[in-house]
Amino acid sequence: MENILDYINGELSAEEKLQFEKKLNEDAMFRMVYEEELTLWNMLGSIESPSIDTAKAKNRFLQTLDVYKEASVQVKGVSFIQKLKALWSFQLKLSYALAFLVAGLGIGLIFSNKNKLSGDQEIAQLTSEVSEMKQVMMLSLIENPSATERIRAVNMTSEIKNVDDKVIDALLTTLNNDANDNVRLMTLEALIELAHNAKVREGLVKSIVKQTSPLMQTAMADAMLKLQEKDSIKPLKKILKQENLNSTVKGKVEDTIQKILI
Amino acid sequence: MLKVKTGDLDRMGLLFERHYKPLFGFLYRMSADKENSKDMAQNVFLRMLKYRHTYKGDGEFKTWMYHLARNVLNDYYKSKSKQSDGELKDNLLSEDTIQVNIEKNEQVQLLNSALNKLNEEHREILILSRYQELDYKEIGSILNITEANVRVKIYRAMTQLKSVFHKLAD
Repeated sequence: MENILDYINGELSAEEKLQFEKKLNEDAMFRMVYEEELTLWNMLGSIESPSIDTAKAKNRFLQTLDVYKEASVQVKGVSFIQKLKALWSFQLKLSYALAFLVAGLGIGLIFSNKNKLSGDQEIAQLTSEVSEMKQVMMLSLIENPSATERIRAVNMTSEIKNVDDKVIDALLTTLNNDANDNVRLMTLEALIELAHNAKVREGLVKSIVKQTSPLMQTAMADAMLKLQEKDSIKPLKKILKQENLNSTVKGKVEDTIQKILI
Repeated sequence: MLKVKTGDLDRMGLLFERHYKPLFGFLYRMSADKENSKDMAQNVFLRMLKYRHTYKGDGEFKTWMYHLARNVLNDYYKSKSKQSDGELKDNLLSEDTIQVNIEKNEQVQLLNSALNKLNEEHREILILSRYQELDYKEIGSILNITEANVRVKIYRAMTQLKSVFHKLAD
């Protein structure tokens, strides 16, 4: 009986099909079973799914597609310039910084016999000083008028060993006030990485209502979902009350609230 | 889809037009949840955009689409997480389904209930075979099993469906 459905579905080989049809003609009992199965299969096919408005669904998708295209073009543009600049400017500055540090340490070793450091300590100290310098550079670059430079500053956060309150404050200020969508988007990504810090989480939640662009509102919703931040429900609901809210964002925020609540 | 992969994102509109309805049908039949199925279908198309680099072009587009759809469904099940065996509870049936059921004869209504009472694995293979117009090879590729295995599983699912259907009819 196993191959009745295979026959109905046209999945039998020519030879199997011949054998099957022969049996169907010769065996009345088998024919009855086959007909019962065929009736059930046809009946199964008559169960319909509800009607849907495909045009409406397509419009919704095309709106999302527009947001997606806009975002990917911007990010692409930025990363290209960023790569070029990073190749020159960042490495050059870092080389200077490292050269000064190494020179400083060398002079220190020569003139001070009292403070001799072991190899491991030297490396640890050097690493720590590089990290501190990066923090200083980051804090200075984040106020640069060029968006590319500000993004570079944000990206440097991942290279800072111990991110302190100054860096967090700078990132949160950028997230809330920077005029450029890409800078805010990159800042959000950097802050998500630091979400183990209570201050960061609190800052992210407070920032939700401050975001006005659909791109950022969507990204904030994604971030809250990723962090499963229950405190974000209230501000997310506030976004839903905004007039002229982008329909894609609305759907996204509603979906996020529902998922966080579960 | 290959054109989308190489950057012609406007082609997504065409793909959406062609595949949205059957995709929604699959998601709806698997979840019996109309509103969430609409969202899930949108989500599948978004994943196509996001993961377009993973589309190799050597397999059927439909197969790849159902792979994505099954992942989205899995996320949906996890978020629901109350149905331990994947069986759809009666209260999950939407008003539309109930309306459709009333309009159909009693037998079809019972069969629909029987289908919803099957476990997820049995229901899925019957849906893929009966409604999505996929052959055994395509189904095997979606479920990562051999064609021979598809045959066996469809047979078992149908046997199970008949058994539940007859119990409901008695």
